[in-house]
Amino acid sequence: MGEFKVHRVRFFNYVPSGIRCVAYNNQSNRLAVSRTDGTVEIYNLSANYFQEKFFPGHESRATEALCWAKGQRLFSAGLNGEIIEYDLQALNIKYAMDAFGGPIWSMAASPSGSQLLVGCEDGSVKLFQITPGKIQFERNFDRQKSRILSLSWRPSGTHIAAGSIDYISVFDVKSGSAIHKMLVDRQYMGVSKRKCIIWGVAFLSDGTVISVDSAGKVQFWDSATGTLVKNHLIANADVQSIAVSDQEDSFVVGTAEGTVFHFQLVSVTSNSSEKQWVRTKPFQHHTHDVRAVAHSPTALISGGTDTHLVIRPLMEKVEVKNYDAALRKITFPHRRLISCSKKKQLLLFQFAHHLELWQLGSTVATGKNGDTLPLSKDADHLLHLKTKGPENIICSCISPCGSWIAYSTASRFFLYRLSYERDNISLQRVSKMPAFLRSALQILFSEDSAKLFVASNQGSLHIIRLLEGSFKHLHTFQPQSVESMCLLAVSPDGNWLAASGTSAGVHVYNVKNLKLHCTVPAYNFPVTALAIAPSTNNLVIAHSDQQVFEYSIPDKQYTEWSRTIQKQGFHHLWLQRDTPITHISFHLKRPMHILLHDAYMFCIIDKSLPLPNDKTLLYNPLPPKNESDVIRRRTAHAFKISKIYKPLLFMDLLDERTLVAVERPLDDIIAQLPPPIKKKKFGT
Amino acid sequence: MVQLRPRVSRTPASASAMVDEGQPASEEEAEHGLLLGQPSSGAAAEPLQDDEEGDSEFDEDEAPEELTFASAQAEAREEERRVRETVRRDKALLKEKRKRREELFIEQKKRKLLPDTVLEKLTTAPQTTIKKSPGKLKEVILQKKNEECEKGSDSKKTKEKVQKVQSVGHNKSYLAVRLKDQDLRDSRQEAAKAFIQNCLYGPGTNRTTVNKFLSLDNKRLPVKKAAAQFLNNAWGTQRKQNAKRFKRRWMVRRMKTSKN
Repeated sequence: MGEFKVHRVRFFNYVPSGIRCVAYNNQSNRLAVSRTDGTVEIYNLSANYFQEKFFPGHESRATEALCWAKGQRLFSAGLNGEIIEYDLQALNIKYAMDAFGGPIWSMAASPSGSQLLVGCEDGSVKLFQITPGKIQFERNFDRQKSRILSLSWRPSGTHIAAGSIDYISVFDVKSGSAIHKMLVDRQYMGVSKRKCIIWGVAFLSDGTVISVDSAGKVQFWDSATGTLVKNHLIANADVQSIAVSDQEDSFVVGTAEGTVFHFQLVSVTSNSSEKQWVRTKPFQHHTHDVRAVAHSPTALISGGTDTHLVIRPLMEKVEVKNYDAALRKITFPHRRLISCSKKKQLLLFQFAHHLELWQLGSTVATGKNGDTLPLSKDADHLLHLKTKGPENIICSCISPCGSWIAYSTASRFFLYRLSYERDNISLQRVSKMPAFLRSALQILFSEDSAKLFVASNQGSLHIIRLLEGSFKHLHTFQPQSVESMCLLAVSPDGNWLAASGTSAGVHVYNVKNLKLHCTVPAYNFPVTALAIAPSTNNLVIAHSDQQVFEYSIPDKQYTEWSRTIQKQGFHHLWLQRDTPITHISFHLKRPMHILLHDAYMFCIIDKSLPLPNDKTLLYNPLPPKNESDVIRRRTAHAFKISKIYKPLLFMDLLDERTLVAVERPLDDIIAQLPPPIKKKKFGT
Repeated sequence: MVQLRPRVSRTPASASAMVDEGQPASEEEAEHGLLLGQPSSGAAAEPLQDDEEGDSEFDEDEAPEELTFASAQAEAREEERRVRETVRRDKALLKEKRKRREELFIEQKKRKLLPDTVLEKLTTAPQTTIKKSPGKLKEVILQKKNEECEKGSDSKKTKEKVQKVQSVGHNKSYLAVRLKDQDLRDSRQEAAKAFIQNCLYGPGTNRTTVNKFLSLDNKRLPVKKAAAQFLNNAWGTQRKQNAKRFKRRWMVRRMKTSKN
């Protein structure tokens, strides 16, 4: 494999934003997650829980509610008072409609999917009709005294429960008037000064209303009489979210202490028909408030302020008990936030509102395997580039020669010329960027830094030639399909450009002739990483189900090695990895090596060595020197995996002897989160 | 009130004073008699000869003044006319004053408004199209206001009226937005954020710091470890800077002295 000097970088201060709302769509098995900075991410739960789409955030958009409506339409509402519809094909916002009720706290789609109900700050509940193009305001329900914090439709569509501060109202949909007003105790059988906030309500089809509030209670109400039926005190802190399954036999609640409770409808005795709600399982997967929960037919999904998305499949609902039924915790992003300039040893870090440019440190010492070498020159923070405007940065890139930086937000594209000589750094903006470049999903520079490739969210691919201080638009490849392109890769010799959409196959374009060369056959799992090898021009594609393909671009077919490994199949431990491969790179002098990494391991695939079958050890540690040659030969196989550096956000080969690994320890993320609820433990 | 006859005082008073008092009294009473519609002539036309009789005690040789009805009437009419004149003059003056004030106000208001030409153009220009100015917040505001206007025409609710001003003149493109609306919206959003911050992290909530939270595990281990401490890199930045500067100066001084 060779010896490498590894730059271990831990100064990337990446802190993801907390999860605020979660909405599950049953038909397409997709999960929409909205974060506190306004980003909305769509996870495909059947494609190995991969994040396939995302909508960048906005400073003024404080999303408080998210819901799916009929026909795969996604709506969100927030404290700026607007209802936003997202266009899932074009990956942008269709429109934002002001509800004129002040900040919106809650939103619910009707069971039929054709109406939308919104609860506002001024106490009004507004009904909107979902028309094919837009939504239209229909009418207002009776106005309440305090803000409506949670809403729920009855499955039959006739009644609505609205949770407010200190009371819950039940409305009749046809007349719009409040039928019942159920007052909630501020504290469980006691008096308290703090108001009781009803964080969530759920309406069942038999007329039961379940409410969760800030006193830690789960209460069952009868909506026909407006009385309290049952009271469960489950936590010392707020219970902040509730989600009911479609069959209405189980629901899940999330508390501010990080515990998620599962309630199920079980029969009183084994053969009686009478059933009651019982708290069955507690799960403690979070450290901070669990502000959103969802219930899919087979799993409980929770997300909160500690930024993890936890998907817990329920054992009784899962048919096949294999690795799919294990807990999934999604912490790290599924796309690359770091780009690297190999010549000048610069790293560009992408944050939500700014970019940071760092120069790697250097060392002159040498040592043995496993030594930590002292730095002779520290890593230098060269540039802190703030973006103008309230929008988040979608993607960014630095050219391999280190003289161009480009980044894009939803409405603008920025290109800068960077000159860095001997501790003098200067940045110059290239003005008058064309309008079609905005809202780019992926930016890539060619190896010689002469061309810029931009994949926009309309699906078109733009090629720009970069001249000294200015640019010239060369060509635009129009989309074959309507879907937007997500990942780009360019060959080191500059001839070929590969672009992957979300569902179509990978398109390969000839850059010299500006024509489409070929299309890799479509695979039903989305592409997570893409790269073209230097001399052989083999396109290596990694999918979200951990399959890796190698396609030869000049020959327009899969390579021999790829066919062999597909026939034999990957090792079962390789396929059971949780996190997707986010970056692939190659060694210049060794064409048989492929370097790829995911969040918890990095691997060098040696195509000349035999492939492992299921019986061999996949993660074989480096054998000590005094081991016999026989054992070493037996355990040698193509996949050399190392788990020394984790959690990895980025790993790349700088030159023949140097690697750079950007790590982000989980503790450093937790150190910057908001305060959690105090837990009193005996003996502390 | 009974009109008291002027009494004969002990001290001799001037006769003219007494006569003066008597005369106006009689005139007034003559008028009063006239107004009451009493007959213009006759015995009744000469009422209250009693006063004069009282006065005549002093001026016995002077005959009482003969006051014909006609003269008294004429005088009375004069008096009335005078009063009416003054009232009319007063009213006229007031009216003029008011008129002048009105004009002043109109003038002031006119000064505040835009020039007539601009107003004409605004009312006649079509309200549907808006020139889209490239990028940033303006677009977002444009769209928002568009929506508001459309919605305002759709539903019957009273909404905040948005003053939409069309681009006047082809070389300018702008959109006039009521700042009051924007401020109101921002203040409400701030209030909502403050509410939720108070609910979750305000007083009365049982929150603790992150390192205390993570230290709980350390303290419960069989081999107790120290609490988790997060480095506060921002501590004493001024002190560290001073120390660095001092060190540099000291090194330089040291070099100088070692050279010499």
